[in-house]
Amino acid sequence: MQIKFEQFATTSMLGSEDAPPRSNGELLFARDWEGRAFGMAIALSKKGHYEWEDFRQGLIASIAEWEASHCKDDPDWDYYQRWLLALERLTLETQLIDPEELERRTFELLAQAQTSSPNA
Amino acid sequence: MSEAVDRETYSAARVRALESLLIEKGLITGETVDKVLEFFEKDMGPFNGAKIVAKAWVDPEFKQRLLDDTPSAIAEMSFPRGMAGAEGEHMKAVANEPGVHNLIVCTMCSCYPWPVLGLPPYWFKDPTFRARAIREPRKVLQEFGLDIPESTEVRVWDTSAQIRWFVVPERPEGTEGWSEDQLAAVISPEAMQGAAKVVIPT
Repeated sequence: MQIKFEQFATTSMLGSEDAPPRSNGELLFARDWEGRAFGMAIALSKKGHYEWEDFRQGLIASIAEWEASHCKDDPDWDYYQRWLLALERLTLETQLIDPEELERRTFELLAQAQTSSPNA
Repeated sequence: MSEAVDRETYSAARVRALESLLIEKGLITGETVDKVLEFFEKDMGPFNGAKIVAKAWVDPEFKQRLLDDTPSAIAEMSFPRGMAGAEGEHMKAVANEPGVHNLIVCTMCSCYPWPVLGLPPYWFKDPTFRARAIREPRKVLQEFGLDIPESTEVRVWDTSAQIRWFVVPERPEGTEGWSEDQLAAVISPEAMQGAAKVVIPT
């Protein structure tokens, strides 16, 4: 039986704590960056840069870290913040990205966002 | 409040930083992420099931073929690559009709017929929900806001690796003359699980 990698990856998370938010049968992305982060994590594994299970374990760990210091009903909970943390860690760990260049690029983009924002 | 905004701005920038670096290194291209998202938006999801049900509503012969041999009937439709085969090959449709209401449950979400239904809701894999749906389906349906009269038989189907069930709900009154597209727009994934009826938005 042939299964698309995207389908395998998402199905492997269903029914457990790391399952992504969804609504009416479709993935639910509240903000643009959530979808980008979701797509990147899947694409990198699909291309063989890491095992999907390694990403999942990283995500489960980042969720567990949050839960260790927050109540379960804390409104601060944000699934895709945990997702992003897991993705970031794995790209650094597998040396796809260098930590310094990631900091630098983030800083540049933040600076850009600030100068272009009318409220800044 | 400003702290939340800061976290938002930071996360958005962080994601853009990651994606731009990955693209520069040639690990992904500018379209890679779009393609992944497109798969979930277009190839597989409840919109496919809704199209199948809508066709069954307007074409009784298609409906019969759908109930007799679900994969072949689905293969008649022009769906994205491999919908009827692959994951969908063991799919089986059951129809609601006067006197019969169908409900599907599953123990393993990997067996969920998501080429047609999309991703299952949280409660679907909950062991309590599944156990109760089998033991007291009428009560569970009532909690979903669905009152099934005593005179109607409730059939519960357990989706498995062998057969992935989905429900062809009853066509609501007041939809006479509607096009397949109009009909498909009102068919929810819950209705195709048997956890809801199709309602026309007022």
